[in-house]
Amino acid sequence: MVGPRFLARGDLDRLVGILAESGRTVVGPVVRDGAVAYEPIGDASDLPHGWTDAQAPGSYRLRRDGSRTFDVGPPAQGLKRWIFPPLAPLATAVRGTDGSSSFTAATPSAPPLALLGVRACEIAALRVQDRVLAEGPFVDEDYRARRDAALVVAAQCTRSCDTGFCASMGTGPEVTAGHDLVLAELDDGFVIDAGTSVGERVLDRLGLASATSAQTEAVAEGVASVRTAQGRPVVADGLRDRLMDQLDHPRWAEIADRCLACANCTMVCPTCFCTSIGLQSDLDGATTSLERRWDSCFTGDFARVAGGNFRPKRQDRYRQWLTHKFATWVDQFGTSGCVGCGRCITWCPVGIDVREELLAIAPPYEATLVELPVIAGSPGAYVPATVRSVTPETADCSTVLLDPGDDGLLAARPGQFVMVELPGFPPLPISVSRVADGALWLTIRAAGPATAAIIALRPGSQVGLRGPLGRGWPIERAIGRDVVVVAGGIGLAPVRPIVDAVLRDRDRFGRVLIAYGARTPADRLYRDELARWASAGVEVAEIVDRAGPEWLGQVGIVTQLLDQRDWTERPTAAFVVGPERMMQASVRTLVGAGVPPERLFVSLERHMECGIGLCGHCQLGPFFICRDGPVFSVDQLGDLFGREGL
Amino acid sequence: MDVHEPARPRVGVVKLASCDGCQLTLLDLEDELLPIVGRFDLVEFPEATSNRSDGPYDVLLVEGSVSTSEQAAEIVDLRARTRMLVTIGACATAGGIQALRNAADEPAWRASVYPEPDFVRSLATATPIAEHVVVDAELRGCPIAPGQLLELLTALRVGRRPQLPVESVCQSCKRAGNVCVLVADGIPCLGPVTQAGCGALCPSFGRGCYACFGPREEANVASLHGWLHQLPVVDDPDRLFAGFTGWAPPFRERASRAVRAAEPATEEGTDA
Repeated sequence: MVGPRFLARGDLDRLVGILAESGRTVVGPVVRDGAVAYEPIGDASDLPHGWTDAQAPGSYRLRRDGSRTFDVGPPAQGLKRWIFPPLAPLATAVRGTDGSSSFTAATPSAPPLALLGVRACEIAALRVQDRVLAEGPFVDEDYRARRDAALVVAAQCTRSCDTGFCASMGTGPEVTAGHDLVLAELDDGFVIDAGTSVGERVLDRLGLASATSAQTEAVAEGVASVRTAQGRPVVADGLRDRLMDQLDHPRWAEIADRCLACANCTMVCPTCFCTSIGLQSDLDGATTSLERRWDSCFTGDFARVAGGNFRPKRQDRYRQWLTHKFATWVDQFGTSGCVGCGRCITWCPVGIDVREELLAIAPPYEATLVELPVIAGSPGAYVPATVRSVTPETADCSTVLLDPGDDGLLAARPGQFVMVELPGFPPLPISVSRVADGALWLTIRAAGPATAAIIALRPGSQVGLRGPLGRGWPIERAIGRDVVVVAGGIGLAPVRPIVDAVLRDRDRFGRVLIAYGARTPADRLYRDELARWASAGVEVAEIVDRAGPEWLGQVGIVTQLLDQRDWTERPTAAFVVGPERMMQASVRTLVGAGVPPERLFVSLERHMECGIGLCGHCQLGPFFICRDGPVFSVDQLGDLFGREGL
Repeated sequence: MDVHEPARPRVGVVKLASCDGCQLTLLDLEDELLPIVGRFDLVEFPEATSNRSDGPYDVLLVEGSVSTSEQAAEIVDLRARTRMLVTIGACATAGGIQALRNAADEPAWRASVYPEPDFVRSLATATPIAEHVVVDAELRGCPIAPGQLLELLTALRVGRRPQLPVESVCQSCKRAGNVCVLVADGIPCLGPVTQAGCGALCPSFGRGCYACFGPREEANVASLHGWLHQLPVVDDPDRLFAGFTGWAPPFRERASRAVRAAEPATEEGTDA
C-alpha cells in the first residue's frame, strides 16, 4: 500500500510505542516552565494536546484553548540541543610525570532518537546544520552520529505561529522532504505518510487504511492557510547583496541602543553553530578535558585578541550576527542561515524583530523585484509604440512620450535603455528618462537624421521598441546614504529617474546634490523641474560653459560644482552621466572627496546595435556595454574606465 | 611529589566588611580541599586556621568592601605585602549590599537603625577594593562560584589565564535548556546585563536573576530598564538594580535613585 494513510487520534500512542522500540528515546514537544520544549516523552499523553500559544516580540504565553496536539508554535529551543548539544566533550590531554603527553579524542555519543512533531522550519534547520557540520570538507563526527541516529517524524503546520516567517525564507510551512514520517493533524486524527523506507516500515506496522481525498485536501488547505496568514514580511531574494551593501547604515547604531547583546537570539536559533573550546584541568594541569560549548558572536570575548577586541561595540556584534545569518552564510554554505522560525524575535528579552530590522536596513527596492520582460530576447522583436506627444526641451532636444504596445516596457528601471526603430532608419539606443502616466518618456537630441526624424514625429505615429535593455542604476545602494547626481548636457535625461526615485522616497536618503552642467543656459534640460527639485529638499547646483546676458549663475565646468565638498563624513553614493571626459574629471573629484569607487556609478555610451551582447559593437574589455552596462561602478571598470582605444 | 615540584605559594584569605560567605566557599570545596592545601600554603585564613601570618603573600584573596577608615588603611598595607591580589565576591568587587548607603543620607539611615548611632564609626561609603588599590583579578558573585574559585587556583598553579567568562547569564541559562522567565512569565530578570558564572542558578529555579555577579561588559542597562518598566509586575525598575552590585558603575545611577526614593523619613518629614 502506498500513499498517505489515516491515523486515528487514539492510535497516536501506538505510533509512539513503535518509535520507542529498541531503546529509542522519543523526543517531542512537552509543556514545561510556561512554554513548550523538546523533551523525552513516555507516551502520547505527554504531548501538548489542547495547548496553543501567543508569541510576540519578547513575549511568549501558553494558552489552554486548543483541541489539537500540534497546534502550539515552535518550542522555546529547537532540535539543535539534541543533535548539536550545548556542551560536548572533545578530547582529553594527559601529561605524564616523565614529561610525555597523550591525547584522546572523545568518542561520539549518539543515543538513538525519534524526533516527533518536527516542523518544516526545524527540518530546514537540520539541513542547514547538515551543510555546515556534516557536508563540508570537515565532518563533525559527533553531529553526524547523532543525526544518523535520529528518526524525524514531522508535523505539518496547520495553524500559523505568530513570529515565524518560514514562507518568506522558502523553508515552510509545508514539510516536503527530510522526514521519515510526516503527520498532518485533522480534528479526528492525522494523515500520515512516509518519506523514507524506515518510515514506510513503521507505517506497515501500524496497518492503517488510506486517507481519503477529503482528508488530504483538508490538510493541504490547512497548510495553505498558514502560508497566507504569514504573508511575506522578509524578501529573501537579493537580501544578501542588499544587506552587505548597508554595512554602514545608521540603523545599526540605533539597534544597538536596544540590543542587550545577551545572545539569547543566537542560543535559541536552530542553526547558529558558533562554539568555543572550554577546558577543565585538575589542580596540577596534568589532566585537561576540552569541551565544545555553544558560544555567541554577541559575547565580549568572541572577537577579542591580546590587545583588543575586533568587535567591541554592540552594534558591531549585532551587525556580525545579522549579516552572517542572512548574507555571508550564503557565501560560506550556499544557503541562508535563517529558516524563519521566529525564535530570535519571540525570545529577544527586549523584543527586537529581525523582520523589521531587515526591512529598515535592507528594504527590497521596488524595482529590483520586477522581473525583466522576455521582450528583450531577440534582436528582431520590436513591438509597436504610439507617439503620444513630443515636447521641445531645448533648441535641439525634445521629450517623446510613447504608449508602448507591451506593458513590459513600462517596467524599465532607471538607467535602462530601449532600442527605438523608426522605419527607414537604423535602430537607436535611447535612455529612458522617465516612466509615468503609462508612457515611456524619451528625451532625444537631434544629433543626426534618425534622431531628428523621431522628434519630428506627430502624435499618433508609430515606432518600434525593444527593451527594456541593460543594467540600470542600482538606486538601492543609495538608500540611507547621501546622494550625488552629476550630469552633463543631455546626460540629465538618464539620471532623471534617479531624482524621481529619490523624491518619491525622500526619507530613505540623506542629503542629495544634483550637479548639472550645460553648454549654455539655453541648452539646459527640464528647466521647470530643476526649480521644482530645488524646492523639494534637494540641492541643485548648476554651471554653464558659456553664459548669456540672462545668466546669473556659475560659469565653468561641472567639476567646479563638486570642489570644496567633503563626502568622507557620511556614506555617499554618486551617479554620473555625461561626455566621457566630463565623467572622468567628475569621478576623480568625487573619489578625492571621499566617495568610494564601489558606490560611484557611471553610465557609458558606446555603439549599441543588438542590445543583448551578441553583436560585439559595444565591447569594452570583458564587458558588453549593452548587456553588462550601460551602468557600471567605477570599481567594476577599474582601469578600463577612461582608457582610450579600447 | 618529585623534586621539581614548585614551592607552595603562600596564600592568605582575609576579609573586610562582609559576611564571610565567600571564604566559606573555599572550605566548601570539600573534595578538593586536601589537594589545595597540599599545593598552596594557606598561611593566613582566620576563618579556618589559628596559624596567622602578616605576609608577605604570593596570593591574597580579599573578601569584603572598605567600610571604615581602618579598613581603608589596612587594604593599602595588605597590598604592599602581596604579589597577586584577588578580590572575591560582590562586596570586594562592587561594594556589596552595604554600598547602597553610598547614595543615601547615611546619618539619617544610621539614626533610623541604631539606638545609639554615635557608637557606629564607619565611613559614609562602602567601596570596592579596586577603588583603593590595584587589583590583579576578581571573582564575582554573592557568594562566589566554587567552580570559578577552583579554576582560579588551577590557573594560578598551572600558570595560565583563568577561564572566567564575561558572557551574559542568558548564555548559561540557554545552555542549561531553561525557558526564559522574562519572556515566558514576565518575571523581571537581570540576566541579560549580568555577568555569567553562577550557572544561571536563579532562572533555573524559575526566578529572575538579581545580578549578584554584577554588570557584564557592554551591559545595556538603559534598554533593559526601559523594557522592564512596561512589565505589569514591576512598579519601579530602579529597585531591581539596587542589590548586591548596585554601586557598580552601570547600575549605580538607577540603584541610587531607588535608594533615595526609599530614604527614611526625617524628623521634619515625620512631623508633616
